[in-house]
Amino acid sequence: MDVETVEARAGPREFGPGDDMPEEYRKAATRMIQFHANSEIMGAYLERPFIREAPSIDRKLAFSAKVQDEIGHGQLLYRAAEELGVKTREQMLDELARGEGKFLNCFHYPMERWEETPMIAFFVDGAAMRRQATLKRTSWEPYAHAMDKICFEEGFHIKHGESILRELMTGPRAVQERTQAAFEEWWPRILQFFGPTDDQSTHHDFSAAVGLKTMTNDALRQAFLNAYVPKARQYGLELPDEPRVYRDAETDRWVVEQDDLDWDEFWTVAKNDYDGSHVQIGKRERTQEAVEWVRDAIESPGQGGVTPAAADD
Amino acid sequence: MSPDRSTDAPEPGSLGGPDDLDDETRTAVEAELRCLADDDFVVAERYTEWQVRGPTLEADIGIGNIAQDELGHARLWYDLLEDFGHDETDLVWEADPGDFRHATLVELPFETGDWADCVVRSYLYDHYEELRLEALRESSYPRIVDRVGKVLGEEPYHREHAENWLERLAEDAGGRRRLQEALDRLYPHALTLFEPTDQEDAIVALGIRREPLDVLREEWRAIVVPVLAGLGLEVPEGDDADLLPDARGRDGTHTDAWEPLFHEFTHTYHDLGREEAVSLMPDPDEADV
Repeated sequence: MDVETVEARAGPREFGPGDDMPEEYRKAATRMIQFHANSEIMGAYLERPFIREAPSIDRKLAFSAKVQDEIGHGQLLYRAAEELGVKTREQMLDELARGEGKFLNCFHYPMERWEETPMIAFFVDGAAMRRQATLKRTSWEPYAHAMDKICFEEGFHIKHGESILRELMTGPRAVQERTQAAFEEWWPRILQFFGPTDDQSTHHDFSAAVGLKTMTNDALRQAFLNAYVPKARQYGLELPDEPRVYRDAETDRWVVEQDDLDWDEFWTVAKNDYDGSHVQIGKRERTQEAVEWVRDAIESPGQGGVTPAAADD
Repeated sequence: MSPDRSTDAPEPGSLGGPDDLDDETRTAVEAELRCLADDDFVVAERYTEWQVRGPTLEADIGIGNIAQDELGHARLWYDLLEDFGHDETDLVWEADPGDFRHATLVELPFETGDWADCVVRSYLYDHYEELRLEALRESSYPRIVDRVGKVLGEEPYHREHAENWLERLAEDAGGRRRLQEALDRLYPHALTLFEPTDQEDAIVALGIRREPLDVLREEWRAIVVPVLAGLGLEVPEGDDADLLPDARGRDGTHTDAWEPLFHEFTHTYHDLGREEAVSLMPDPDEADV
């Protein structure tokens, strides 16, 4: 199939492994899905320590289940990407450990305190949900199919994040203040989740033309702010003075003052070159190297196993 | 049936509800529940360290499942202790680290990347747990009988997970060496699973558990030793008394690893100024147990 045909046919769940897709499409879809899968893994990385921190058994269970779900999402997405025939899962996981795999800006920052957890589990996941819901209509069917399950589970995650936020904001005043401080720290990163407003994305035009993306970053940002600014206020969080975010009465649209956001930092993050990027990727690399021996042992068992090889491994 | 089984013990389920117990019986029931709850809670606490850090995505998901099952079981046993006027706060979050009665096996830290430890630990633990739970199926305390079936129903998956990994790693010389190192280190601590509390005699005499722990230990050894030997692993030899670590867990003494772990998992609770542990799920008595 040539690109013109792909563009003509592009629509929700239009293409699958049985279609002969042009290289340009396969590469664009791989880049997009790999980024998504990597983000699931690196998000889980950031949240894993909070399974231990959780202040009740039920909360601990919910956090453990969430981290497990994210890994499951990564697994589904790598599979959807593999079916494009560009990279294997092992290649993509290796790239991630080596610092070549790209992932969501918010997951490059350290998360150290419990009050920070809803910044990801409510706001970032809420932003991700906006984007993911539109991807149920992406043109690569395995990606759309993965999104059915992922969106279903993400719904629970956001409720979990919202319930943590509610608990914090109805707790002692000092805890509320710490939560507000965490919000102010994370809010600019959350605003940057959808990229710059004067869309510098070089991938969008092609991705939109072939139906991989079905909504622009700007439309997603508007939808997110419509839903989440009132929610933040409802829980008693105040938007910081900067970055300036307001609703323009004339256009009835949200305006995010671009000069108030640190775009140098954003692009450094995007290149995996922020301090936090090195920390998070380094952790992933070290823990993956530490279990390399297991993968070696099961992939090519060497020297004198005493039991017959299990055929169903 | 073991000859050690106390034949004069009360019939299964005959002790009645929490308010029907005399002080002596209640103390014995609480001691048994505390061991069950703490073992499951702490083993899960350690298993969660492997989430996102396992050797494969599938291993991650598997260990996450098992950790959540064990946490769910801990929740069921703590809930039975709550019948006696306790709550999650005093049982866990505001407890003293010395109140915990889990075996030392489950509190030991994992070295980064030491998947062999996780595999051997869960293999030794899951077989122990299944035997102890089987001995509770006909408990004289009906609240235990009501719940033990659900818990046992999830155990075969845990055992298969551990056995499958054990076999896979033992295929490889390097893997087998790591398994052996883990076994040498963990086996003495696994023996503390069978250490008695000061209520052991009462627990057996009152039929709360149908088998004494020393009988369960021999049954356990008869299962795990031949399997491990068949994989080319050597179980440490010697008298249990010589092998056992100084800290026994069941008497409230623990290894140096316990207090730091306890402070790690309770510190947010205190930092947030909490006075209660938030429940998100229905009470087990209202859920479909």
